[in-house]
Amino acid sequence: MSYALTAPLPTRIRVLLPVAVLVIATVLWEIAVRSTRSQGLMPMPSGIALSGFELTRSGVILEAMAGSLQRVAIGFVIGALIGIPLGLAVGTLRPLERSLRPVLDGLRSIAPIAWIPMAILWLGVRGNAALFVVSYAATFPFLVSASQAVRLVDPRLIDAARALGASRWDLLRAVLVPSTLPMLFTGARIALAFAWGSIIAAELAIGIKIAGQGRNVAGIGQLMVETLYVKRDVDALVFYMLAIGIVSLAIDAGLRHLQRRVLPWDRQ
Amino acid sequence: MSALLELRHVGKTYTSARTGDSVEALADIDLALRNGEFLAVVGPSGCGKSTLLSLVAGFAEPTSGEVLFEGARVIAPSPARGVIFQDYALFPWRTVHGNVVFGPWARGVPQATRDERARELIAMVGLAGFEHRYPHELSGGMRQRCALARMLANDPKLWLMDEPLAAVDLQTRIILQDELLRLWGDEPSVANRPTVMFVTHGIDEAVLLADRVLVLGRRPGRIKALVEVTLPRPRAALRTSPEVARLVEQVWNLIRDEAAQAIVEETH
Repeated sequence: MSYALTAPLPTRIRVLLPVAVLVIATVLWEIAVRSTRSQGLMPMPSGIALSGFELTRSGVILEAMAGSLQRVAIGFVIGALIGIPLGLAVGTLRPLERSLRPVLDGLRSIAPIAWIPMAILWLGVRGNAALFVVSYAATFPFLVSASQAVRLVDPRLIDAARALGASRWDLLRAVLVPSTLPMLFTGARIALAFAWGSIIAAELAIGIKIAGQGRNVAGIGQLMVETLYVKRDVDALVFYMLAIGIVSLAIDAGLRHLQRRVLPWDRQ
Repeated sequence: MSALLELRHVGKTYTSARTGDSVEALADIDLALRNGEFLAVVGPSGCGKSTLLSLVAGFAEPTSGEVLFEGARVIAPSPARGVIFQDYALFPWRTVHGNVVFGPWARGVPQATRDERARELIAMVGLAGFEHRYPHELSGGMRQRCALARMLANDPKLWLMDEPLAAVDLQTRIILQDELLRLWGDEPSVANRPTVMFVTHGIDEAVLLADRVLVLGRRPGRIKALVEVTLPRPRAALRTSPEVARLVEQVWNLIRDEAAQAIVEETH
């Protein structure tokens, strides 16, 4: 989408313009922080770069990322295992839909991070609480997309397959499954984005207590809490924020690429 | 010779599950199709043309009377009755080849046999070179050719065609009409033609293609006339002949008043 009413820009300007803006903004930012002597309160581009280099070299960020991503992956799978079958059932069976809808809508409207206190109460702070929140966040996108997907299966395609001699089993594997895949894939992308967003929140809330107690429990959120309260390192904090954003982009780009590869017939 | 298809006092009433209102779509349809005959079905919109076809296909059951195919009551779709849909109803996740082999695949035909047959049919409908395209990569005319090849792969005795050429432009329609005649067997010497039930909006198309034209009235749909088209075959050459024009006029006179009425009612 373009914002402009004017003619499209030449390629060179189109590429250079955002780069130039970024470079100029970065330089101005650096100058502003240095000239106001607000280092330590305001992050500074050179400081962020330095922290990033240091944290990457020492492996701190990679280890924390790995911890968070591992929980996201497990939560994503749990969400799929609960959300897809439940969504398919709700989408197919009207009485089930009618009876579960208020409960499911109610649960869905509770933000996953609002469960954090209960999750800590039940599961403790050693990582399972975060896992619970992430699984919860991932379940609903799967549930919603699966129930939509079965409802939107084109009845003409079912008719066509039956007229060609398809059995019920053929209908399931050769019509229902492929026609629900694009929407399920989109659901998976949303689930992963939700899971990634809520793991950060859950880890932030569960906080510092766990940091350093064990490699496989500490994640990027705990690392940020520690950086805030113990190290008071703004540059590192902003570097973590950037890293979180980059991971989000990478995950979504990866899934979209996968979607195009696996579903070449899907035009979206 | 016994009729391949027989409809005895067939009626169909749709009842809305929500409001309980019922609409009588078809009433007292009594009809027998001769073996190898090309029957066109015309009528104003809302006359139940498509309902009639779906009863014969076995997608729905009549509320009164019965549909007999080869002497047996139709209760479900069968590969012996091939269907062509107005919107093509191709499987978007299957290539041209994948669509054409669907019927033989569902009926358990060995892979080598069905691949060979698909190749023949794809060439026969003029889609050679497009085997590996997905439906969304094809034009409307090509999709309809693909749907035709998919139906032919099952060697159905009865072709049920629901406004198959309504969605293509006029030039494509003329070409596809000629090809349809060729595939069906327009030469007088052809023996063992399949039997066709061809629903259309186009009266000229009905007259040009068919041996008999079934004219339906509306609300409820019932048989208004059964017009014999005694023109010689091949028909492709007669497109502009005065006999065709005279028969079109005759059929149009049967439909005109109700067609006008349908327009008035639809705008309300």
